[in-house]
Amino acid sequence: MRKILIIALVLLASWPAQAAVPDLNINLTDDHVDITAGFNGERLTLFGVRRDKGDIAIVVRGPGASVTVRRKEPVLGLWMNRESVTFENVPLYYDMAMSGPLKRIAGPDVLAGHEIGLSNMQFRYTGQEEEGVVDRFREVLIRNRQEHGLFPLEPRRIKFLDGNFFRADFYLPPDVPTGIYTIDAYLFRDGGITSLKQATLRVAQVGFNADLYNFANKGALLYGLAAVFLAFGTGWAAHYLLRRD
Amino acid sequence: MFWVQTSGFGLRMLIYLPIAEMTVHAEAILLLGAAVGFLSGVFGVGGGFLTTPLLIFMGMPPDVAVGTQANQLVAVSTNGMLSHWRKGNVDVKLALVMFSGSLAGTFAGILLFRMIQYFGQSDLIIPILYIILLSTMGTLMLSESVMAAMKKTKKEGRARLRHHPFFQALPYKMRFPRSRLYVSAFLPAGIGFVGGILVSVLGVGGGFILVPAMIYLLGMPPLLVAGTSMFQILLTSIIATIAHAFTSHTVDLMLAAILIAGGVAGAQAGVKVARRIKSVYARILLALMLLIVSFQLAGTLLIKPDDVYSVSVAL
Repeated sequence: MRKILIIALVLLASWPAQAAVPDLNINLTDDHVDITAGFNGERLTLFGVRRDKGDIAIVVRGPGASVTVRRKEPVLGLWMNRESVTFENVPLYYDMAMSGPLKRIAGPDVLAGHEIGLSNMQFRYTGQEEEGVVDRFREVLIRNRQEHGLFPLEPRRIKFLDGNFFRADFYLPPDVPTGIYTIDAYLFRDGGITSLKQATLRVAQVGFNADLYNFANKGALLYGLAAVFLAFGTGWAAHYLLRRD
Repeated sequence: MFWVQTSGFGLRMLIYLPIAEMTVHAEAILLLGAAVGFLSGVFGVGGGFLTTPLLIFMGMPPDVAVGTQANQLVAVSTNGMLSHWRKGNVDVKLALVMFSGSLAGTFAGILLFRMIQYFGQSDLIIPILYIILLSTMGTLMLSESVMAAMKKTKKEGRARLRHHPFFQALPYKMRFPRSRLYVSAFLPAGIGFVGGILVSVLGVGGGFILVPAMIYLLGMPPLLVAGTSMFQILLTSIIATIAHAFTSHTVDLMLAAILIAGGVAGAQAGVKVARRIKSVYARILLALMLLIVSFQLAGTLLIKPDDVYSVSVAL
């Protein structure tokens, strides 16, 4: 009983000091991105404040999925898919902002441990086991995601507005995958992480688009009948409206 | 509701598709719908052999392309069929017999498709099937229609293949008064069966195989071919749309609406053109188009691709 009391007292004494004055705080201007029929990509702005003069890295990760990379080879003169590697847990969106060059901020072990930076992402894979082949397929995957604007070509810069008050801008392209995004902000000191803050972002269809999506998935048979009816009706109406004779 | 922006020349309208979950240029889809609708009006084919590959080429998920394309076929074939219907150029009895075969073919096709997937080379087998089909039909049609055009026969090469002893020996002969035919029901049902397989394996309406088969195999009066094949495609595409929507949720109404809007306009223009050009020349054009698409597809298999790697995301 006494031991518990002491532990509780020690916790009480030490805990509020950290919680009340966090070293790092971030805030998204909007915690959701609404996709409507007119969705054409969206800017994502994040504000934050640091207590410490350390470097900062912010990583935005989209929902994960398995991604297969295939390579075509000629077989009897026909180009067909031969080798393939399936990477599991690939974030469908990845972007990052930093306050300085990655190498200056932290050592490779720390960056790899938290998967900060494209080259530090850890993909589990199945398929071809040779390491050289897997590395090449991995490069192809990253290049492909970069072409779609879903992986960064280079990290963004964190802008300091006033001493310790900073801002980071990200951009979600029109083809951004829907789902829950996580945003991790790291504060570094002497190459190690001293503080970590997390936020989530919900990317989802809203309004008419969301209604259609739900109808298609929950009332599938009715949706199919409605689709047929609409198409038949349009074809019928068009015939009688557009005919000239 | 829509994001309209002007840039450079003209109007670019971007629209987010709820089922495909991607942004597309609405005017590109509209144009695609119009082009395919035009073809369906002129030749009495659905045009799926162009829509599906082009939608996939635009980055659409293949299953959404196939499912939505079936839905747009309903509108295009309704519209096109009605023009022929009013002129009495639809043999309903023949179309219904073909449709019964098509239903069986659709289910057989689903089994066949599962088998192709099981052996894992659908990337290779599907284009090869396309190439074999398109080039065979194209070559047959081209040689026949060029011969007919040169001879300038009134009959327009109405073939007598159904008089072949094999087809004569088939049981269950039926009369089709509208087409003035007396043939075994297995002949039109068999043609429908092949059409049904094409719907489920390749995601195409199968008009490009129905039309020549009805001309050369059945020996139907060419005037009835377009309307009857379109009526049959309408029935098949209704079933296909409901099946896709029910089993895989891959019918995108937004995408279908844009394709349909372009399609009905294109079909209207196509039917007008069809009245002016001789059906022999229309067949030559269709044959050439089938050959061009098949050469294009053969090229993708034979020529080294720009990027030997492909990346696909499983959601």
